[in-house]
Amino acid sequence: MTELERKLKAKIPGPDTGIEVRRTLCDICSPGMHCGIGAYVKDGRVIKIEGLDGHPSNDGRLCTKGLQNRQYIYREDRIKTPLRRVGKRGEGRFEPISWEEAYKEIADGLNAAKEKYGAESVAFYAGYSKWYRQTLRRFAYAFGTPNYGAESSSCYTAAFMAWKVAAGDQGGPDMGNSDLFLGWAFNPFYSSYMAGRHAMALKEKGLKFLIVDTRRTPASEKLADLFLQPRTGTDGALAHAIANVLIQKGWIDRPYLDKYVYGFPEYAAYVAGFNESNIEELTGVPYHQVEAAARLIHENPRMSCNESSAPLCHHRNGMQNYRAVMALLALTGNFDRTGGQKLTPHSYMHVCCGFESREEDYNYETKPQGVKDPVGGPRFPLWNYTEGEMQAMDLPRQILEGTPYPMRALMGLGLNAKMFPNTPRMYQALEALDFFVDVDLFLTKTAKYADIVLPACSSFERGEFKPYPNGTAWYTSPAIAPLGEAKSDTDILTELARYMDLPDETLKKGYDYFIQTYILDGLGVTIDQLKQAELPIPIAPPQAYTDRQELDKGLKTPTGKFELKSAVIEQHPEWGLDALPTYREPLDEADPKAYPFTLTSGSRIPGALHSRLHEVPMGRALRPEPTADMNQGDCLRLGVCEGDTIVISTLRGAVTVKVHPTQSVPAGLVNLYHGYPEANVNDLMDEDHLDPYSGFPAYRSTRCAIAKAEKEG
Amino acid sequence: MKRYLFFDSEKCTACGACALACIDQNDVDTAAGQQPFRHTFTLEGRKGELSFYSVSCMHCADASCVMGCPCGCLTKDPESGFTLYDTQNCIGCHSCAMACPYGIPGFGADGKMQKCDACIQRQRAGLVPACVKVCPTGALSLLTQEEFLARQEKERQKKARLMMTKQLDQ
Repeated sequence: MTELERKLKAKIPGPDTGIEVRRTLCDICSPGMHCGIGAYVKDGRVIKIEGLDGHPSNDGRLCTKGLQNRQYIYREDRIKTPLRRVGKRGEGRFEPISWEEAYKEIADGLNAAKEKYGAESVAFYAGYSKWYRQTLRRFAYAFGTPNYGAESSSCYTAAFMAWKVAAGDQGGPDMGNSDLFLGWAFNPFYSSYMAGRHAMALKEKGLKFLIVDTRRTPASEKLADLFLQPRTGTDGALAHAIANVLIQKGWIDRPYLDKYVYGFPEYAAYVAGFNESNIEELTGVPYHQVEAAARLIHENPRMSCNESSAPLCHHRNGMQNYRAVMALLALTGNFDRTGGQKLTPHSYMHVCCGFESREEDYNYETKPQGVKDPVGGPRFPLWNYTEGEMQAMDLPRQILEGTPYPMRALMGLGLNAKMFPNTPRMYQALEALDFFVDVDLFLTKTAKYADIVLPACSSFERGEFKPYPNGTAWYTSPAIAPLGEAKSDTDILTELARYMDLPDETLKKGYDYFIQTYILDGLGVTIDQLKQAELPIPIAPPQAYTDRQELDKGLKTPTGKFELKSAVIEQHPEWGLDALPTYREPLDEADPKAYPFTLTSGSRIPGALHSRLHEVPMGRALRPEPTADMNQGDCLRLGVCEGDTIVISTLRGAVTVKVHPTQSVPAGLVNLYHGYPEANVNDLMDEDHLDPYSGFPAYRSTRCAIAKAEKEG
Repeated sequence: MKRYLFFDSEKCTACGACALACIDQNDVDTAAGQQPFRHTFTLEGRKGELSFYSVSCMHCADASCVMGCPCGCLTKDPESGFTLYDTQNCIGCHSCAMACPYGIPGFGADGKMQKCDACIQRQRAGLVPACVKVCPTGALSLLTQEEFLARQEKERQKKARLMMTKQLDQ
């Protein structure tokens, strides 16, 4: 081998090898991260990737999900041209068409439903990724429908709602100044990885960790000074019991409660019901551990806690449980305090970047008035009140039942039917539509139901504006040309808006106009400056902070205080919801004798992100087959060993998977990762096992039965 | 200059990023059954406690694979100290794998030995190995001799403190 051959094999960048490292970002996970990527490009193709040094999210590192970007963007099922369905729905037979033809068919399809049934019979849905969402929302409103909605109908929003109800806006931890971090359902090592590194560094400096999780995880092993392991979905009861100890022992901030908190006396009376007499029975956590947790909180006055987009919320009691955990911050005076939880209002795409923007103006200024409630509105009134957009968990029902009004056409970007509990019903709903257009990178099972499929491009093939929580931002440049005829999602939406001549000139001016006018103008920054930046550059100065500044100003709640008892819910008795963060049992009504186990799904594994990496070979290399974690004792009783096959069944259906006996899950629990095409756990979930407050599905608490699979042959 | 691929189990979470970086760097065709040169493991203790490991070639100072190879394919790099190889003469006899106490050497479709070379070509270009570069928690690092010795000393002191605490507790 010559030296040049050796360098080529090792992919060493340089003029001699013709390999160039280009800068882009990873958008496989959520906008809270979007790490920087160095893409090694040769002859227009990515041949290797790594983390980008100096990037505020990852500084050279890259996680198990992000490392799959190369195989992800070159997945074999990438769509290369617009497609028109020629076979039956779901069959997967398509013919390539031009963009012009595609836009015409989409305009005709959407307008036909609008003319026959009204604009609200057309829904616009955003799945993953999220970067184009403002444009899609504005598109929906320009079309005249209130039915914009997103996968956020099952992720994050319930937590956001809990914060809105209690404090009027999102709060985030000031972890670096805390004495104690309450990591409730917190395992950053397999999700938003870089937070794990941060947590370990703070632990070395003396930060204490109270970790609460149904499963043992790297976080319980690496971080916990005290680890509590409640049964899945019983978090609210446990939080109440801790609160009760704090109150009984006088370990609360009385002057703070008097001045800044609404509803304390009623709350205190309510949580008194969670005590030594019942807490172990309710949650599985012994009372002495509850006391130990309260003591740890008392001895470490500055406490903050994590944001939990999904684990705490994926129960029918999820939002109330979330409120119960947040209440611990208020009791101890740790809301709006250095080292506690501070308000973190969103700057852009649900990320707090320390600057104000006009994103909300762009999102909502054209929202149609005097139209019907969006899908799910009547069923989930609190959701409708705080969010005012489609709660997509009710979408398949409304398509199939046509009540309270018909839902006949759907445009989805990154729509994934496997996300919906009782997935087969979602496919039925897609089949029942008059018109369905899907935009995606891949010809997914969902896309196969579409009349028209449009090819979107990956983050490597487009440029986009991206700000970060430290007040920096950049505007990426494409690292490679789009594959085939793929286009960026915002280009597709802008071109379609122009083609349909929607009555919204701002929308038709496109993505760059939105970013410049609504986000950057107020900061005196231009897109060109951000395009030239090799790394995110500061665009907003750090803001000064004084303890209690928001409380003294008054929060955006009806009382202006932190509300342990929600005044909004109190004012709406017709909703049938509780103003206090009341606790109810999480499990569904299936017969416990027939379904003695509890199925939990959604907790992260390192090499997967929802379903999008299951078809990537290197992700599957780490864990080739869907595998359920079960308690060793349960496995012993069932007579199953490592690698044996089990059948998990519910009233809805059954999946067959491998089993991994472990003590990391408690007796009675079965933990299976989601989104596998060959074992979709959501086929087992009940579409009506939802949280009445948020509409969120109870992915993490469904009764199930387990049987050893019969050996084949 | 001697260098060390250092693994800190306290920081490792067996997330597998290192293994994927290895696959990406070396174009390992996992779909065809090929294996990366680094693997991660989660081990569960009797009481359910978890420990996490990332394992590849240990680049032993006294590497038995070097002695085990009848064709002289394996060598210790005098410059860096890593165990390198040139398999032009490899006869695929697996002697190296049998000699290795960790069973590290693997064999490609052509029957020839392959294993981790600590991304030596990247190191020569002033870059760190692919696995070290990405490791999210910093469990993997590339250390100089000096850094390595200082690190070992720190570990020794930590263990001594732990033993002392345990004895005082009893």
